[in-house]
Amino acid sequence: MSLKPAASPARPGPIINRFQPKQTQPKSQFPKKKPNFFVQNHRLFPDRPPNISVQRRQPLEVPIHIPPEILIRTMDGNLKISIDKLPIKRLDAIEENGSERFPSDVDYDENRLNLIRRIDFGWAVEREDPSKKQKSEGTTTSKDSKTTNQKPGQWQSLVENLQLARQELSVIIDLINTVEANDAVTVAGMTRPKQLPNEILSDLAVSTATKLQCFRHLGKYFKQSATALEQQVAREARFYGALIRLQHNWKVKRHRFGASASGNKGFYIDLFYNTLNDTSASLRPSSMSTIPIEHDTAGMLAVNLPPNSCRSLRFEFLGSHFANNMRRAGETNTRALSEDSTETMKEHANDDECVRETHSLLREVHRAIFDEQVFELISCEACNSSLSVNLTGIQENYLSLSINQGASVSISLLPSSQDNKTDCGAGTNSSETETLPSELLDGSKFGEGKDNVKKLGFPNRISFEIYLQQLFNEYVFVKVKNKTTSSVRSQISGQQSKDNLNILDHFCMSLAHRIFSNKVLSELEYLVCRTPYVQLISHHTWHSRTSSWTLSMKVPQSILHAGSQIQSSGANNVKNVNSQFWTKVVVIDESISVQGEGNPNVVGLFNGKPEITSPINRYECDLADLPIILLQQVASQVIQWLHEEALSLGIKVNRDFLSLAFELDHGEIASLVAHVDPEDTIGCISWWLMIDDGLTEDLKLHPGLSIGESESRKFLGHLSLNVLYSTLLDFVNLCSC
Amino acid sequence: MDPQSQTTSLQRLQNVEKRIVRVLELAGGVMDEMASQSGPRKEIANNHCSEFMQLIKDIQFALREEIKSACEYRPFEKCDYVPRISNEICYKKLEYVIAQLDEMKQTMEGYRNAA
Repeated sequence: MSLKPAASPARPGPIINRFQPKQTQPKSQFPKKKPNFFVQNHRLFPDRPPNISVQRRQPLEVPIHIPPEILIRTMDGNLKISIDKLPIKRLDAIEENGSERFPSDVDYDENRLNLIRRIDFGWAVEREDPSKKQKSEGTTTSKDSKTTNQKPGQWQSLVENLQLARQELSVIIDLINTVEANDAVTVAGMTRPKQLPNEILSDLAVSTATKLQCFRHLGKYFKQSATALEQQVAREARFYGALIRLQHNWKVKRHRFGASASGNKGFYIDLFYNTLNDTSASLRPSSMSTIPIEHDTAGMLAVNLPPNSCRSLRFEFLGSHFANNMRRAGETNTRALSEDSTETMKEHANDDECVRETHSLLREVHRAIFDEQVFELISCEACNSSLSVNLTGIQENYLSLSINQGASVSISLLPSSQDNKTDCGAGTNSSETETLPSELLDGSKFGEGKDNVKKLGFPNRISFEIYLQQLFNEYVFVKVKNKTTSSVRSQISGQQSKDNLNILDHFCMSLAHRIFSNKVLSELEYLVCRTPYVQLISHHTWHSRTSSWTLSMKVPQSILHAGSQIQSSGANNVKNVNSQFWTKVVVIDESISVQGEGNPNVVGLFNGKPEITSPINRYECDLADLPIILLQQVASQVIQWLHEEALSLGIKVNRDFLSLAFELDHGEIASLVAHVDPEDTIGCISWWLMIDDGLTEDLKLHPGLSIGESESRKFLGHLSLNVLYSTLLDFVNLCSC
Repeated sequence: MDPQSQTTSLQRLQNVEKRIVRVLELAGGVMDEMASQSGPRKEIANNHCSEFMQLIKDIQFALREEIKSACEYRPFEKCDYVPRISNEICYKKLEYVIAQLDEMKQTMEGYRNAA
């Protein structure tokens, strides 16, 4: 029998490959990876035989790589060492009938001990006393000398190997102790011994199993990621879809650096648009200009604004009894800035609503920013001295001005309240405006005086609020945007030769003009409603400081037909009679100008020409004189018409300013005199008939003495044009010349 | 693949994201296939892998198109905030006029009812 050495190549020397802490490895079918421990110390064991490798399988075990067929026997027979490398169940014995007998299950330690016990180290003891051994060996027969000589040699090398292994182990134990004591230890690597095929296969199996496990894990991870990504994609699709819809109308920007907290991607909407680049004060972006876009609970886009953060411009007339200071009942000045809707569950059908709500919110904020800018501009302009604007009060977000016509207005910046339901009967919104200084109350002019027909009061404050906003938008923002100057400026500064453009001035002058023209209009209406044959026509002037009306008097058709009949029968002096007379009233800023046809020329009167040119006269007047002047104009137009009619009928008539004198037989002169009285409640133009027979000269010279009727004066009343025409026809019969 | 003219840019990018999700699912499927006890079924794994590659190609194509077609423009050049304010003012004017007309109508109806 030969001690078969391990089929392994030469070893370079013991090197510690890897250090593992002490652990008891469980019994398993396949041995796990076996680290090899070799003490790194060439010098320690220089004589180490290279063909023996000591593999450490278990701690404190000294497995010897010896083929299992080597058994240990007693000294007198074959020695064989059988050590179970693989703890497989081995047959103990097999009987003749085929049944197998297995050894009983022994404990691991006990098994180990059994194995160690099977090794007989008697020879090692004998070797240490080589003299004894030689002596004993010398007595042996020569038959055994060969084998025993070989045996001790082999045995001796085995023992040496065991001793070396033991020393290695002691080094290892020292190493363990050292490392446990935290001393630094340098370990060099070493190469593994080549593995047996079954070891290789087992290693391969283990790694394959691990890889399979990894694959499974990876597969699960991929699938999980896929579902999570799908959810994320769906969430973000809603968000970005809404964001793109908002981007159609608003500027969406993104913070590049330092995205805000809570996972927002840093989107925000920029509502600021600075258009002012020249002399006007550049407007600072308000705090509301950038609106962050956030996610709500469902991941959808949400815009959160603090409530009541939007303010709106408010224009008011100051005075406690102005009924038009209240808000309209249906005025949608505000939008509910509640965020209740964002808490509800969002579905696809609600995405539209969400986007629409956000859009409305942004519109509201945009408008609020504009109002703030307008207010700033107004404040700047109001503080500069100007002609028509008197600044009477200034507070934070509040300005009060006094206008020419005795009106006081206030311009303020108020938070858009959600309460629209103010009572219609209430006066001012005292809860919102500041306390009014008492000296500004100037409503007395409008509280007393004329009746309801004449009182038009102040114009609607809402219209002027809108007008104010429009002015500033047009002349500040749009002008800068379009860079047009000439056409725009000419309209404002057309009535005043100023170069610098003050929008607030223009606005206040427009307001004053409107108040004044309302007064004019009320006067005109009062006049016209008592003069049945005069119509009032309003004209649009497309200018905020100009108003114009026309009082037109039209001869009724019946008279025209009658006149044409008579004319055709007379067949002489077919003359085109004026059938329409007009008087135009134009109010520019606060000056009234009246122009009308039909007033006889003074020069023509003196010449006594039958054909009187009727140029168009124009003259100015003020409000107090307006009724009289208009009535005189109308009356003279009536007289003019009567004059022309009479001439066309062939009657000899003379015309004075407001009277028409007929020559009767016997030298009598009958005059039809118009009397105008603006205060007359029944009618403004009344007619008198005066007969002058040359005897009552003194009466004529003293017209003021005779007030009432007499034999020569008869009050005809308020006649219509038909009656006047028939009176004229009566005179035809009377005159008969 | 959808032709570009039919879908918006956002929809195309959303399709890309859906493809990425599908790609992940395929990868998971392939891994599961490889990890199965009886070994991977070749045709299924091949199908998955070919679909994977096709999708990757589609994704790459779509992204390249999108990046190329991202137009160069000065952002916010055509900002319409000022006309928007004009629009708001016009809207307010309309509201006011409608209110006035309603009042006139009410007055007329009042007279008609009284008559």
